[in-house]
Amino acid sequence: MDSQNNKKNNRDSASHDRQKAKDVRLSNISASKAVADAVRTSLGPRGLDKMVQEEAGDVLISNDGATILSKMRVEHPAAKMLVDLSKAQDIEAGDGTTTVVVIAGSLLSACLTLLGKGIHPSLISDAFQYAVEKAEEILEKAAQPIDLNDRTAVIQAAATALSSKVVSQHATLLAPIAVDAVTRIANLEEPDTIDLRNIRVLKKLGGTLDDTELFEGLVLNQHVNKSAGGVTKVAGAKVALIQFCLSAPKTDIENNIIVQDYSAMDRVLREERQYILNLCKKIKNTGCNVLLIQKSILRDATSDLSLHYLAKMKIMVVQDIEREEIEFIAKSLQCVPIAGIDSFVPEKLAKVDLVEEVTVGTEKMVKMSGIQGKHKTVSIIARGSNKLMLDEAERSLHDAFCVVRSLFRRRFLIAGGGAAETEVAVGLNKVAKTMEGASAFCVRAFADALEVIPYTLAENAGLPSIEIVTELRNRHVQGDTNAGINVKKGNISNMFEESVVMPLLVTVSALRLATECVRMILKIDDIVMTR
Amino acid sequence: MSSLAIYGERQSGEDVRTQNITACIAIANILKSSLGPVGLDKMLVDDMGDVIVTNDGATILKQLEVEHPAAKVLVELAQQQDEEVGDGTTSVVLLAAELLRRADDLVRRGIHPTNIIAGYRLAMRESCKYLRDILAVSVEKLGKSCLMNTARTAISSKIIGSEIDFFANLAVEAVLAVKRKTEDGKYKYPIKAINILKKSGKGARDSQLLKGIGLNVTRASQGMPLRVSPAKIACLDFDLRRSKMKMGVQVLVEDPKELEKIQEKEYEVTKSRIEAILKAGANAIFTTKGIDDAALKYFVEKNAIAVRRVAKDDMKRLAKATGASVQLTMADLGGEESFDPSFLGSAEEVVEETISDDKFIFVRGCKNLASGTIVLRGPNEYMCDEMSRSLHDCLCAVQRALESNYVVPGGGCVETALSIFLENFATTLGGREQLAIAEFSDALLVIPKTLAANAALDATDMIAKLRAVHNTGQLDSNKGNLSHMGLDLENGHLRDNLEAGILEPAMSKIKSIQLATEAAITILRIDDLIKLKKKQEDDSGEY
Repeated sequence: MDSQNNKKNNRDSASHDRQKAKDVRLSNISASKAVADAVRTSLGPRGLDKMVQEEAGDVLISNDGATILSKMRVEHPAAKMLVDLSKAQDIEAGDGTTTVVVIAGSLLSACLTLLGKGIHPSLISDAFQYAVEKAEEILEKAAQPIDLNDRTAVIQAAATALSSKVVSQHATLLAPIAVDAVTRIANLEEPDTIDLRNIRVLKKLGGTLDDTELFEGLVLNQHVNKSAGGVTKVAGAKVALIQFCLSAPKTDIENNIIVQDYSAMDRVLREERQYILNLCKKIKNTGCNVLLIQKSILRDATSDLSLHYLAKMKIMVVQDIEREEIEFIAKSLQCVPIAGIDSFVPEKLAKVDLVEEVTVGTEKMVKMSGIQGKHKTVSIIARGSNKLMLDEAERSLHDAFCVVRSLFRRRFLIAGGGAAETEVAVGLNKVAKTMEGASAFCVRAFADALEVIPYTLAENAGLPSIEIVTELRNRHVQGDTNAGINVKKGNISNMFEESVVMPLLVTVSALRLATECVRMILKIDDIVMTR
Repeated sequence: MSSLAIYGERQSGEDVRTQNITACIAIANILKSSLGPVGLDKMLVDDMGDVIVTNDGATILKQLEVEHPAAKVLVELAQQQDEEVGDGTTSVVLLAAELLRRADDLVRRGIHPTNIIAGYRLAMRESCKYLRDILAVSVEKLGKSCLMNTARTAISSKIIGSEIDFFANLAVEAVLAVKRKTEDGKYKYPIKAINILKKSGKGARDSQLLKGIGLNVTRASQGMPLRVSPAKIACLDFDLRRSKMKMGVQVLVEDPKELEKIQEKEYEVTKSRIEAILKAGANAIFTTKGIDDAALKYFVEKNAIAVRRVAKDDMKRLAKATGASVQLTMADLGGEESFDPSFLGSAEEVVEETISDDKFIFVRGCKNLASGTIVLRGPNEYMCDEMSRSLHDCLCAVQRALESNYVVPGGGCVETALSIFLENFATTLGGREQLAIAEFSDALLVIPKTLAANAALDATDMIAKLRAVHNTGQLDSNKGNLSHMGLDLENGHLRDNLEAGILEPAMSKIKSIQLATEAAITILRIDDLIKLKKKQEDDSGEY
């Protein structure tokens, strides 16, 4: 609350008030630490969830650090840096968003002690930079290379990422789905170009998570328009994605069609029929039998009349395709969106083996399977018993995708369960012994700060944390690089044997980002409020 | 207090859990008194002054407008049970709340929530297995009376409980009437095909099940025949009124004679449409829109029944059952208007009948599907509404029993059996999960306890007796029938509920244990609650 009051006083008295450098640093550090403490309990497979009630009254239950922090609306400027930090980790690696914040918080408290000893901030900052470089070397040594064709190893990494989530008991099902999905869209030559937007997760209420499936092809959230008794299943389909309307053209608001003669009335009616019929016939002539129509705001995308005609011509109609979906659909079907009837040519159609409407639970969707040509998108149909669960499942799947992507980018695995962090801590302590001066002190503090991860893991799992961490440290000193905390059994064991593994990229990026953020906070010695 | 500055409130740790759990228990307390055959009803008055009298858990919770985020989870839970099973909405909420209350005690005794969650999950899995393998009895084994009994049990707690045999019979017959064979050779009982019509007046006993689709509409004109047979049915989704020009088309008349001609033309368009339909052979015409009075004479001339303003859902059902296709317009591929005989559906007869003062249209002997209609009568609207809700629960129960093929004895029997089983199971385990499983086993007893308390019996005494009986039953496999013992709430002693015909679908019980545990775990996992305040408008000067 201090910081808030300070800020208020600032604003009240004068807009250009200055604070003492020390105070600023302290307030920044304590605010950031508070953020780290807030997410600490959600770390690890036995971590708990946070419930966030948003201003509109919507409730969100999540275990994902980045999600919680982004919803929390932190006020303190330095604390905001930690929120950004978790976002950065989310973008960089996708997983470990809680870890990165917890490490940063622990490093900051180490800084507090160091500052208290009178060590200059820039010295601490430089020493930390040195430490993180060393840490990276240690991690690379401890990591094991992975062959991407070894599916089980990749699945293990994805399962580890999922183990801390609400959906953990379904990890065995979701992990292979995530791996398959990413493998499908990946281009092995250019691992940096994996675009996760090519994976679409469709959330459908009802059923349980066990019913979640990976679908090779395209799934649309919309349903088939059946008001005119249209078809719901087309084999050997030719799909057109159109962005124009199939309804009578509207006159401008100012203009009117004036009918003076009763015979003209007939003509007006007939004209409309003819106009629509011509559109439909042109579509039919290209051989198209499935029509995806983009949502239109200005006019009705379809009219009773056009639906009726299309149904008679046995053309399936799916309307209300959102504008944002067009790109994904076009990419999946490998077709070109058609903007006007004049450019409606057979070359622009996509060939699909089977298009059908299926009912899942109480909702309907359209499935397209057997798309011809090699398409690089994939759809996942996520099922869940309630909305909160579904949303969390989507977030968890995203984390799992990211983990797999990280493995594609950097093909190394490292032991989880606090093993990596402890290994770095032990290694850095050795390094510190060879150094001289205050930096040695800082590097040792850095090393000790990393033990927060195994410590928190044990604490969240309801284990005696001090005993566990000391034993873990002992094992690592003896050279057992892969020893980690086995949360399920409550003891220390080899993490590779327990298949608790994570990509090297995630850990390295977490360490690097956290250190960078801490260094930045350390270097601030003044807050100037400007109007 | 931490120095975390966020725009809102934050609570964490023990406080949040206790607070969440208190909110959930509060919700359960509201429902408590409505459980069981002697449970009482709630009267709910909304801000518009509308009244609902019900004892259906899901309905009560839906109306409550609960604010607390954790309590909302329970409300959703009841709705989920309602959607997936249709019955047992009250008991699922009671069970979830009781699980939470006991978890709270455990946390206070220093057990970490994750251990409790693991224990609950294990207990849920074991009890579902035990229920499925040992307690469930197959429908075939019990014969036909078992369906009646399932229906009776579902109804007994409801407002129509006084006419229990009558309604149970009604429900079973209705469900059996819509039996349908699916493509993979299984039988389905789509209760959607059962139409429930509500009419206030007379007593509940005058409710009846009628074959065919009943529509709450009448013939458009008295000149039409009361009955057509065999019926050729046209389903229209457009107006048969004077055709109007579209928006943006203006009719400008300079000569009064023209005016008349234009009006005539407007009639002409409609007339030609009607003639086309009649020419196709239709003798029963249903439309979701209107028909002009002036246009009715064409139908009368041809001795056809025309019905206007049919509800859209009814229309879909009608089209599906009779094989008709609903037509949006009459345009054909030549750009002209026509009506093809293949659009017509057929049924043995379409008839207007008077059922207790009111007229309904019935479509019987539909070509494609069987369907049924239940006409509910009651002294007032609220009663009819509640009757329809109760009957819906009952229909669901019968459907579940038929489709899943297994039932379990009710009256707190299953819960007690599972409780004893889990208690014994817990002692075989080392580790902290043992305590959680023991609490889970105690929590199950909330159902028989509440049942007994609602029936004004000595709950403690009854449960003790019941547990003793079940324990002997499980220890000694020769006394198998002891595991069917449950409460007899009318006479206040124990009896074999399988024999007495207090039956519930096994699937409903399994689902409710699963759902309740899932919900309890969701809430237990929360250790932090962040409530964000509304953003103020004048924060422009911030950064």
